Amino acid sequence: MNLALRLIVLIIPVLFIVMFFVLLSDEKSIPGADYKVANLPVFSLPNLENNSIIDNTSLDGDYIVNVWASWCITCRVEHPYLSQLNKGGIRIIGLNYKDERTDASKWLKKFGNPYDVVIYDIKGTLALDLGVTGAPETFLVSNGEVVAHYQGEVNQMIWEKVFEPVIISRNIAF
Amino acid sequence: MIVEISHFLALLATGLFLLVSCFSLIRSGDMYISNLISRTYSHAFFFLLGSFLIYVWLAITDNFSVAYIASHSNTELPVFYKISSIWSAHEGSMFLWILFLALWGYLFNARVDNEEVLKPMSVGIISLILVGFLCFLLITSNPFETILPFAPSNGADINPVLQDPALAIHPPTLYLGYVGFVIPFACALAFLINGNSHIKWEELVKKWSVVAWVFLTIGITLGSWWAYYELGWGGYWFWDPVENVALMPWLAATAFLHSLSVSIKSSNLRIWTILLSISVFSLSLFGAFIVRSGIIDSVHSFANDPQRGLYLLAFIGLIILISISLFAFRLPIVRSVGNIKAFSKESFISINNIFFGALVFSIMLGVTYPLIYEYLFDQKISVGAPFYNAIFIPIVVVSAIFLFFSIDSKWQRTIKIPFFGGPKILSYFLTVIVTVLCIYYFETNSVTIIASLFAGFLLVNRYLIEIFLVVSRKKYINPYSVIAHFSLGLLIISIAMNSVLSSERAINIRLNESEVYKDLNIYFEDIKVIKKSNHDAIQARFLINDTKSKSFRLNPEKRKYFTRGQITTETAIHATPLRDIYITIGDQLDDGSWVLNIQINYLIRWIWISAILMSFGGLMLIFSSKRKHS
Repeated sequence: MNLALRLIVLIIPVLFIVMFFVLLSDEKSIPGADYKVANLPVFSLPNLENNSIIDNTSLDGDYIVNVWASWCITCRVEHPYLSQLNKGGIRIIGLNYKDERTDASKWLKKFGNPYDVVIYDIKGTLALDLGVTGAPETFLVSNGEVVAHYQGEVNQMIWEKVFEPVIISRNIAF
Repeated sequence: MIVEISHFLALLATGLFLLVSCFSLIRSGDMYISNLISRTYSHAFFFLLGSFLIYVWLAITDNFSVAYIASHSNTELPVFYKISSIWSAHEGSMFLWILFLALWGYLFNARVDNEEVLKPMSVGIISLILVGFLCFLLITSNPFETILPFAPSNGADINPVLQDPALAIHPPTLYLGYVGFVIPFACALAFLINGNSHIKWEELVKKWSVVAWVFLTIGITLGSWWAYYELGWGGYWFWDPVENVALMPWLAATAFLHSLSVSIKSSNLRIWTILLSISVFSLSLFGAFIVRSGIIDSVHSFANDPQRGLYLLAFIGLIILISISLFAFRLPIVRSVGNIKAFSKESFISINNIFFGALVFSIMLGVTYPLIYEYLFDQKISVGAPFYNAIFIPIVVVSAIFLFFSIDSKWQRTIKIPFFGGPKILSYFLTVIVTVLCIYYFETNSVTIIASLFAGFLLVNRYLIEIFLVVSRKKYINPYSVIAHFSLGLLIISIAMNSVLSSERAINIRLNESEVYKDLNIYFEDIKVIKKSNHDAIQARFLINDTKSKSFRLNPEKRKYFTRGQITTETAIHATPLRDIYITIGDQLDDGSWVLNIQINYLIRWIWISAILMSFGGLMLIFSSKRKHS
């Protein structure tokens, strides 16, 4: 009885700890990552720099969509990593979210522009259709389909854990 | 520059806490060592307090070179919210959590005499826990990180739903409750390490445990109230994972307090008491892990990375394993001296322990099951109210009935508890009448509702009779127990009536037109845009008449905050003791009408009043025992 009680009280917490360890090391448990496949919403919005219209037809192939704004502090934190990705040949489309045009342009001039094209979405319509809840958020788009989505700052670790597995499994080349 | 001072003080405190825990390893009954531990701890605490106060100062003076303050505060905010923005996200709230942990240790250190045998070891254990959490703070979630050389000119603002007085005090109160249980935990461990079964560690921790329980109760109640009126959830409890992880330590703590009262009187149930003291603190730590590791999605979960989760899991796992192993190793010294007599107070309390243990276990199941399921089958499921109701209602009803009979029981002896007789027969009589009236008026035939009403009224009636007997000086009864358990009865009744009477509906309404819902006549007077310093609001005005021709105005809003672009819904509530009329506005439809969501919540205030009354029972106990000491 004594021994049994001792073993039981010891085994229960050990089981719990092992269970949570397994759950934590599971890749799916990265919060903010989402792998639902959906068509890129239909949109038609101005380019931040020259006001020309960008729509679904002007974007083809595979690319990253990064939702950002000049008022967003975390966007500034992830900015160097995005620049690094862009230099490494990854095509990044910026989606400027609920921002003033002048502020956004100033921001890009000051810190550098990691984006191939920046879509200017002052009302957040495309962002709404994409299911954006705030900035920054990042989408991986392949042939008109959103295949991965991450809410929050993209860094080396998130890139490797959230996006690279999808890029490899889908054979995506930028 | 100033932030470095704050950072340095925190590091210094960490070092000193480590020193304290090293000192406590020196096992001698030497007063010199005890005094050394006590003084070093105080100094360490004041360094940590200094660090925090400087941090508060940095927040008040808008020092946006600190990354955390830049991301969570703003020059436009009133000073009050600049301070509360510190605990609006992970790093700062962890800092506050640790400060409170240290504060409890400090108060314990200051008020307990150095000659107390268990004190040096207890303070050492608290210090060791502090070191672990300070390392977690400084390594994985450093609030002192700076963005230099280019500090932003303005911050990113606090999340608007957090700009609320209830939220500014809800987390600190809850944290005080959670970490307060470090004292019974540390003392229980010190007792187990010491190994002398004659030491009465239970006596030492009684008052501290009750204070922590009071804070936890108030903290949970405030959180429930905040979700109701600010988040616009429209209810008092949602079985949200984070509500659940707060409820688990509360249930365990409640069982612990009951068990403690037995152990103080007769050294019985010591195994329960020690195991519960370990469980309460472990469950509090588990709460911190759940919220901060990002393992669940909830309104409360902080943005985070898995590294934090792993560190917390490793550290918390270590604390739990060490304490449980120690318990298993020392099991012989906590064996009960005598047997518990049937139908004594002790026997009822051990039954209560089993009930509460079952409740904690079922919540644990409800919280972890979806996680395991998602891991195994890659599908999200949610465990919600039906599961918890199915478990909670029967257990609470049955324990209320046990409680009803336990009132007659005596400490340490068996007495016959007749089924009828004395005040019981009157309670049955009243309860049956009131319950039948309720069934008749509310037209309900739900068994769970009727059973809950019956159990609730049984308790309330019985305690009212007992109070009457006490007032007329016919007998004595523990007043704290009366208040706490009377509130439990009130709580059960309020919850049951709330669920049977309340209703809600979404209606479409046009400007200058009226709609009727139940006994209310709602007239849409006006809608306008209001510009404020940090947001624009659309405010609707409704004139509402009820059948008693009382009229009042309600002005719900939708707000858009500038800095984050976030849209929030501000509810408008007309509160009376009987019911709340609770309305929110939704979107405008294409035909020009507006969606108006209206809820009539009966007796919802009484749920919070019961909870506060319950904590009041605890408060009285604290102050009365103080008087006895002086």
